[in-house]
Amino acid sequence: MTDARKPIINRSIGRRSLLLGAGSLGAAGLIAPKLGMPYIGNAAAAEPIKIGMIWAKTGNIVDQAEYLAQGGMLALEQRNNTLLGRPAEIVWLDEPNPQGAQQNAERLVGEHKVAGIVGGALSSFALAISSVANKAKVPYVAANAAAGEITGKSCNRYTFRLQPPVDVHTRVLAPYCKDVGKKWYLLTAAYAFGQDIKRSFEEYAKANGITIVGADEVPVGTPDYSSFILKIRAAKPDVVIGGISASDLTTFLKQWNELGMRGKIPFAEISVGNTDIWGVGPEAADGLYTITWYYKNPNNPPEEQAMAAAYEKKYNRPAADKAWMGWLGMKSLLDSIEAANSTDSAAVVSALEKWHVKRGDLDSGYRSFDHQLVSRLLIASIKPKITDKWDYFDIKAELPKSQADIDAAFGSQADSACKMAG
Amino acid sequence: MLDMILSQTVNGLVLGFLYVLIAVGLSIIFGLLGIVNFAHGAFFALGAYFALVLAREFGWWAALLAPLLTGVVGMIVEAVLIRHLYGKEPLLGLILTFALALLVEAILRMAFGGAPLPFSAPRFLSGFVEYGPILLTKYRLFVLGVTVAALVAFWVFLTYTPFGRIIRAGSRDAEMVGLLGINLPVVFSFVFGIGCLLAGLAGLLAAPLWTVTPSMAASAIMPAFVIVTIGGLGSYAGAIIAGLLVGITTAMTIQFQPEWAGAAMYVLMAAILLVRPRGLFGEKWERFE
Repeated sequence: MTDARKPIINRSIGRRSLLLGAGSLGAAGLIAPKLGMPYIGNAAAAEPIKIGMIWAKTGNIVDQAEYLAQGGMLALEQRNNTLLGRPAEIVWLDEPNPQGAQQNAERLVGEHKVAGIVGGALSSFALAISSVANKAKVPYVAANAAAGEITGKSCNRYTFRLQPPVDVHTRVLAPYCKDVGKKWYLLTAAYAFGQDIKRSFEEYAKANGITIVGADEVPVGTPDYSSFILKIRAAKPDVVIGGISASDLTTFLKQWNELGMRGKIPFAEISVGNTDIWGVGPEAADGLYTITWYYKNPNNPPEEQAMAAAYEKKYNRPAADKAWMGWLGMKSLLDSIEAANSTDSAAVVSALEKWHVKRGDLDSGYRSFDHQLVSRLLIASIKPKITDKWDYFDIKAELPKSQADIDAAFGSQADSACKMAG
Repeated sequence: MLDMILSQTVNGLVLGFLYVLIAVGLSIIFGLLGIVNFAHGAFFALGAYFALVLAREFGWWAALLAPLLTGVVGMIVEAVLIRHLYGKEPLLGLILTFALALLVEAILRMAFGGAPLPFSAPRFLSGFVEYGPILLTKYRLFVLGVTVAALVAFWVFLTYTPFGRIIRAGSRDAEMVGLLGINLPVVFSFVFGIGCLLAGLAGLLAAPLWTVTPSMAASAIMPAFVIVTIGGLGSYAGAIIAGLLVGITTAMTIQFQPEWAGAAMYVLMAAILLVRPRGLFGEKWERFE
């Protein structure tokens, strides 16, 4: 076999070349987002209003980002690509990592002069974009990120967030988990979203006499969970609380089933996307979740039903919750630009604070003191028998029910860590 | 605790074999052709998607053709693109194969969409076996068996068959082998195809365990490079030993320091390269030692 180790041509590839190559490619990866990004819209039209959109085109979250971006583009298309009587277009840039998200947000502001930005698929990306929005005084809607910090201690006047924060999801889901049992195992991602879930569930456990029998932080992009699952199996918890997102959750659930744990120990997680479960498959799908929206929820208002129909017609598949989030985040920004009758950022921010949408008996809008959208969540479990490859969820409840419960779940201004400067 | 260590060690070994399968194709292509194939992860993803389509259209057994199809695509890629890189500046190969990886991912995204697609192991491989504290699934045992069989088969092929001898001779002195009337371009295509076939086989076997998305290549390519580097660039045996080491190290880190699990293989690589810059089974580099 030693002969077989010799390369044919020459031996000129050394570690230095390899490292140089890897370094060059790494640099290329950083530079790539700055190059050749397509415009969505009519570039030939005179002085269009530009809206920035930052959703991942590469990396771990790209599978969800596709839906988020499609929803955003649909929102503008439903207005015939016009705003304030002028042509409008979306400039969509990548978010390969937090640094890349920040650089592209700066580019949207400095180079493209956008009237506002929607994006930030992961909390770490959203925090990076939010800091640029605050510095540049450009309205920004974080339509997917859930870490509490975004509308908590890192809030700012220009950042609005659509997804309920982790604490709200926890307050809705944790009582269900408590009913299952009082020994919990936490398996959370090692970044802002997962760490927030860990903190939030630990706080709830402490206040409710629940024992945490194990807690692991999982690196993003972990390809194999079998060693984690063996630890969970040995700890014998009553319920496993997950805090891993997107394709990581898909991988975990596949291996959870493969190692025979499905149905043996209940699994629960907050803020799960449809696409994460679609990839698991009917044989392996399992769990109890909070989700933000479901295309088959009969309580969806008519405008959202129309959006779901338009999405399905265009893309030949149901609108995932992420498509709705991308759509609603973009719609709130576009509505507010129209309402402000201007692209002036102060006027748009003011309009965003007044923007609201009627969802059942709830006036859903961004709170003025922390810019958090107030909405209900769905408690969903996996259907016992899945016959439609898109329809995995049984909706068990839409919570919190009353306005008082909603106020309690989202917390008051006095409870908020957000201290927004003028 | 001893039970858990034993359980994690065995699990790490099984995981290591999957890593070996991913890495060994990369090692073969570098060892025999001198090409650092950044697109190796893309061929891994291609194997998973071929398996998914074949299983969906014709049943699970048809998925076994996925590695062959990946190998054929690899041969075509070699004939059209890679062939022009032999003897050229190594960075060209890195850049071209990196671009190829992006291209394959984009094609998969256009063809199948970005969302993950479900793919499960066949029913006869579901279930698990328990020996005391050790829990192994039938599917992982199957992966282990297939990996060992593939590695042994390739070793026998390379060592004992006339074609294997031509490949080895060609890797030492391409000009002399060419003068003997052997059509070396065909041999090179075949070698590249074998490397891609192994990536496709790894993709097929990983598809029921991992998430099948166009971006799944990223999960494969970094462990593959780490293993090849630890084992020694181009070393077949080194890739095997390094794969098992990475599997066990990862499993043990998860047991004792889970938040370090993602960094464990890189720390292992750094530690080994500090002591032995050529990797465990790599050839001596005069500039470094």
